[in-house]
Amino acid sequence: MRRRTGFASFLGQRWAVLFFLVELVFFSFLGGGFFSLNGMQIVLFYSTTLALLATAETFVIVTGGIDFSVGFVMGFASVVSAKLAAAFDRMGLPPELSLTFAVLATLAMGLLPGFVNGMLVARLKVPPFLATFSVQGITYGVSLILTKGSAATNVPNLANVIGNGYFMYWVRGRGLSFFLRPDVPRGTNVVEIIPTMVVVTILFVAIAAFLLKRTRFGQHTYAIGGSMDAAVRAGINTKKHLVLIYVISSFLATLSGIIYMLEYVTGKSDAGSSFMLDAVVAVVIGGASLFGGAGTVWKTILGVLILSVLEMGLKMMGVQTFDKFIAVGIILVFAVLIDQFFPELIHKED
Amino acid sequence: MRHTSVAVVNGKPRSPAVSILARHWALLFLALTVTVFSFTGRNFFALNNFQSIIHLATTGLLLASAETFVIIAGGIDISIGFLLGLSAVSSASTMQLLFAAGWSAPASIVAGISVGMAASIACGLAAGILIARFRVPPFIATLGTQGIAIGISYHICGGFPIGYLPPGLTEIGNGYLLYIHPPSGAWSFFQRPDGIGASQIKDLVRIIPFSFVLLAVLLAVLWHLLKNTRFGQHTYAIGGSMDAAVRAGIDTKKHLILVYVLSAALAGFAGIVDVFQSGNGNYTTFGAQLELFAIAAVIIGGASLFGGKGRIIASVVGVILLKVLENGLNLSGVEPFYRYIAVGLILIVAVVIDQLFPDLF
Repeated sequence: MRRRTGFASFLGQRWAVLFFLVELVFFSFLGGGFFSLNGMQIVLFYSTTLALLATAETFVIVTGGIDFSVGFVMGFASVVSAKLAAAFDRMGLPPELSLTFAVLATLAMGLLPGFVNGMLVARLKVPPFLATFSVQGITYGVSLILTKGSAATNVPNLANVIGNGYFMYWVRGRGLSFFLRPDVPRGTNVVEIIPTMVVVTILFVAIAAFLLKRTRFGQHTYAIGGSMDAAVRAGINTKKHLVLIYVISSFLATLSGIIYMLEYVTGKSDAGSSFMLDAVVAVVIGGASLFGGAGTVWKTILGVLILSVLEMGLKMMGVQTFDKFIAVGIILVFAVLIDQFFPELIHKED
Repeated sequence: MRHTSVAVVNGKPRSPAVSILARHWALLFLALTVTVFSFTGRNFFALNNFQSIIHLATTGLLLASAETFVIIAGGIDISIGFLLGLSAVSSASTMQLLFAAGWSAPASIVAGISVGMAASIACGLAAGILIARFRVPPFIATLGTQGIAIGISYHICGGFPIGYLPPGLTEIGNGYLLYIHPPSGAWSFFQRPDGIGASQIKDLVRIIPFSFVLLAVLLAVLWHLLKNTRFGQHTYAIGGSMDAAVRAGIDTKKHLILVYVLSAALAGFAGIVDVFQSGNGNYTTFGAQLELFAIAAVIIGGASLFGGKGRIIASVVGVILLKVLENGLNLSGVEPFYRYIAVGLILIVAVVIDQLFPDLF
């Protein structure tokens, strides 16, 4: 095989990073207010829900499957958590407790769609496309019934404080304070540093990345995606493993829904409907193959950032947002073409 | 030599009754749902309702037959739902502009149809070339053209349906072949009989919408194309084994491009049918998931996402099953939200049956 050297190889291997940098430079010059602490934080804040969905999708795509249900599982979780928080609040529980209970109960309930997906795919050998498409319909229907087709509201305002709070606040002369907005007179300039939800997202994404990259569980996931037969012969309990993969995917999607609920203080059945394909796109931009066996969480996050910077950058430039779809379409094809022309460079390290 | 066809599973022969049941489960399931809804649904078992189910399924049937070709060839086309929207808004806006510029209604309609078809076929050609020549996975290539189709559609229509179209569109799109007015015995073809006023219209019986004729002709052509022609044989061959198809001397690249062009053309045509039926140029909303429903219908019909399997008639049964479920649950007074759940559950049952009786399909 002909070896590529020098610049072409460098470009082929790191095109996503390069593309991301080009995007940053481009929008810094043209996007009003993009190149600022606030502008960057808006992009990160906007990325939180998509980042968790794309991480969920990474696990599934590495096994060679696909999970269409993540978007509506996210909506389902936002509805369930909002409904529960509102119900506990009405029962007279303090807001901290009602939110905690609501989040824990939702996380538990969010394992269910993944379990059904996993059982269908692993035990009954239903193609992942159809299994998750069916489960998507069921979760969407259930959340529509719960909300009667509108949004779930009356969430205690503490959700807003948490969801739209920042990790650090800095006031000139008074130093840093964590999580809580310092009590200063009106008009004082408070510098807000890193939204809390971004910190939470990074935490879970890091755990997921560790799980996929450094543990036996992760190795087995790549093995299954590389060759199911080989994985079976190597003694991996592939059925159990696949069920777990879909449960993890559903768990991360649920988390994404809870973060959505905290950020927007409502639950919406279709909260994640437009993210479903974006999640797959982010994974693919990150260099994963839909046939399985390749892909990492951090590269997926790069894909998420490419999409979010594009979307928010265009918004800040005042360009109509549907141009985003054209851009994403072109990037996607571009990504795969590069993948085709430099296959040995991209999949080498996975 | 005659051979008896007794299915054998794990060495045990299965009775012919079970094997027939499993093979035609979608059809049987359709019969079952029709029977149940006839009892539970108000006005379900009525000529009018059956006609409207199929009339409203026209675009779904076109999309599903498009997807049938692609899935048999071992690919998938995610873009068709939004190609429908692209074709609808581009043809409608052309009609609107030309008609406003003083063109005659027929001329502007023909020009609109040409523009809509050209737009969708161009997307299909691009996807086909990416897939066949550059070996881009079909899922991603069509996801890419989908994004471009969404963006262009929104640019054309700005997120609103396009109105002020030439007159006569909906008369053609929603017309019937035969109108009968039993009380007076008057009847006529193509339009309601002379002398039947608005007050008598509720007694008017309409028989065979134009969309039936269109579907009958088009589906027969597609069925023939897939079943009896070299093009169809090659499609199955490519889906069965790409390597074998190449070795058999099939120009697989050209063939794959043609398959995606055909798929896009059918989706574009569905968009034009939508303009004729609704009288507007509607873009496809994000929640519509038309392509996913088309794929689901094809798979209910017994096709495999790995390619090589599938039939037009079976996909038609899949679409009708989904539409009957929607319509029947609606007329039975079930809230629309439960329909998503019902469709999901039925799909699961469908594929699980498919998995339990793999040798039968």
